Amino acid sequence: MRRVGIVGAGLTGTLHAGHWARLPVELVGFFTRTPKRAQVAAERYGGRAFPSLPALLETVDIVDVCTPTPTHRDIVLAAASTDADIICEKPMARNLRDAEAMVRGCREAGVRLFMAHVVRFFPEYSRAKSILDSGQLGRPGVVRTVRGGNYPAPDTMNWYIDFEQGGGVILDMVIHDIDYVRWCFGEVTRVFARGLTFSDAQDADHVLVTLRFENGTLGHLEGSWAFPPGNFRTRLEIAGDQGLLEVDNLNTGPMSVTLKQEASARAAGVPVPESPMAPRDDPYYLELAHCLHCLETGQDFLVSPEDGVEALRIAVAAIRSLRTGQPVAPADITNADI
Amino acid sequence: MSIRIGMLSFAHMHAHSYATCLGKIADVEIAGIWDDNAERGMSMAGTFNTRYFEDMEDLLDGKLDGVVICSENANHRRLTERAAPRTRHILCEKPLASTYADAQAMIDACAAQDTKLQTAFPVRFSPPVQRLKTLLDENALGRIYSVKATNHGRMPGGWFIDKSLSGGGAVIDHTVHVIDLVRWFWDTEVTEVYAEVGFGLLHPDLGIDDAGLLSFALATGAYGTLDTSWSRPNSYPTWGDVKIEVLGEGGIIRVDAFKQNLAVYSDRVGKGQWLNWGSNMDMGLIQDFVDMIALDREPFITGHDGLKALEVALAAYQSAATGSPVALPLGDREGAR
Repeated sequence: MRRVGIVGAGLTGTLHAGHWARLPVELVGFFTRTPKRAQVAAERYGGRAFPSLPALLETVDIVDVCTPTPTHRDIVLAAASTDADIICEKPMARNLRDAEAMVRGCREAGVRLFMAHVVRFFPEYSRAKSILDSGQLGRPGVVRTVRGGNYPAPDTMNWYIDFEQGGGVILDMVIHDIDYVRWCFGEVTRVFARGLTFSDAQDADHVLVTLRFENGTLGHLEGSWAFPPGNFRTRLEIAGDQGLLEVDNLNTGPMSVTLKQEASARAAGVPVPESPMAPRDDPYYLELAHCLHCLETGQDFLVSPEDGVEALRIAVAAIRSLRTGQPVAPADITNADI
Repeated sequence: MSIRIGMLSFAHMHAHSYATCLGKIADVEIAGIWDDNAERGMSMAGTFNTRYFEDMEDLLDGKLDGVVICSENANHRRLTERAAPRTRHILCEKPLASTYADAQAMIDACAAQDTKLQTAFPVRFSPPVQRLKTLLDENALGRIYSVKATNHGRMPGGWFIDKSLSGGGAVIDHTVHVIDLVRWFWDTEVTEVYAEVGFGLLHPDLGIDDAGLLSFALATGAYGTLDTSWSRPNSYPTWGDVKIEVLGEGGIIRVDAFKQNLAVYSDRVGKGQWLNWGSNMDMGLIQDFVDMIALDREPFITGHDGLKALEVALAAYQSAATGSPVALPLGDREGAR
């Protein structure tokens, strides 16, 4: 049984831990910069808290990197040097220089690197891709996506609302859809973006990104940390010359619970939507199960390290467009762009 | 050792889905298919890469761990009585039978052989429905006032509209799923049912009921309604629905079990479609049946559950015929309806 160690025990680290527990692997434990968090996670999910990254790395076959974005490069390169296979949370890195170093380091060390772009494993998104590929929609013309919610609570999320570390809503939210649309429609030739990332808006970030794909398709991606609370929304629309596909989490929730009394007076009487799935259909479970299967069989991952780099390149192009007010070709992005 | 399952009849289209699910479970083997329609049986045996048996006895000779029955409703009894002495586990499509007496006879035949009989009520395995059950078990709504439900569908045609094979139309077809859920949610029984039933209302000259509204009372004191109508036209974007709204003193919970859809409009198909990406509840049902065999445990959904749900459908027909509410249980006096 392969031994899995998780670096980081925040939202993603603990979410992954719960799913690793249901897979045929040994979860050996956690390393976190704050030792207490690793202990808490180990008590809850199993394994132990490691005192250092090298201590964890020498004990594992797979290392699952769920740390703040700017730390990915050093952890991945350290893991590669110990021959561990690697899962890296999105976005791959904070800049292209780091991302390319990660790809090179893993290739030279002969270890495998799986980029955890989980949207490809969401049932509605994977189904939409297969419907697109079936030809029912004809030739694709325009794709639109939405992904957004309210501004993250600063006490829990300080690193990723700091643009220098997290890259704003583009690197946190929009990159999910960038990877997805690139999977569906191929390479992007032009990116144009408007948004709040560099504006004077307080406690808000929001972008509207326009894309042109090499195959002619147009793309419109919205990412938001500016919606009212309780309105997390994802939406996908693909229009082709023979059909149209739509899915919106705000009107595909199979249940809603409305209670007269809630813990918070403001929430009472407000419908709370839910979209339950069987555990075997959970996208994070499917993502990790896929990664494990590929490691065991030697098959290719659905998401390659290069996919991680290219999604980041388009995201960085959107950030440059925000700064310059001009359309940007991802091919023109250099390591100096951040 | 793999678990060997025999399938008796593909007359009900759910057999196709159940066989697909069986094929996805490790250590399960579809040992063979018997069907009184040889052409259908051979075709399905090809699809699922197994053997077609012309003589049911030859299939039953094959040391089957379980049997799945998806014949016409009226043939469930005959097939169950044949299989009960030859296997330890039977999964029978709903409704359990077309008459009360047949359903009781099936339960008795299995009990006599110590064979476990499970009724196929897959909606219990829908994740939204399971979430509703959890919330109700946690008493999220306090006192329950009412449950309002629909189980709409398309008019299925074929043997479903031949009363000698089906036992009835929309009411017997679509009463049992939701009534089973209601009994399960609150561990209760329906005490009275009043029904308005429409014959050929939506499909002129159909010769069988195609619309039904049941108004029922539960032993808990709650009341409810259920719309069983085959009211979705062919141009509707999906086959139908299961919607449940539970109103209690604490609030309201709404479930639309098949709402996790992609809306797809394709000129190549010629109409809008809702393509579901939610979890496949048939997979939950079949996995549960296989687990019952592997772990030698009691069925999660019993023959008795099938009988009690059927009894409400039969009472609804009786209410429609007399124009009066009908008290339950009916018991054997209605067996020869």
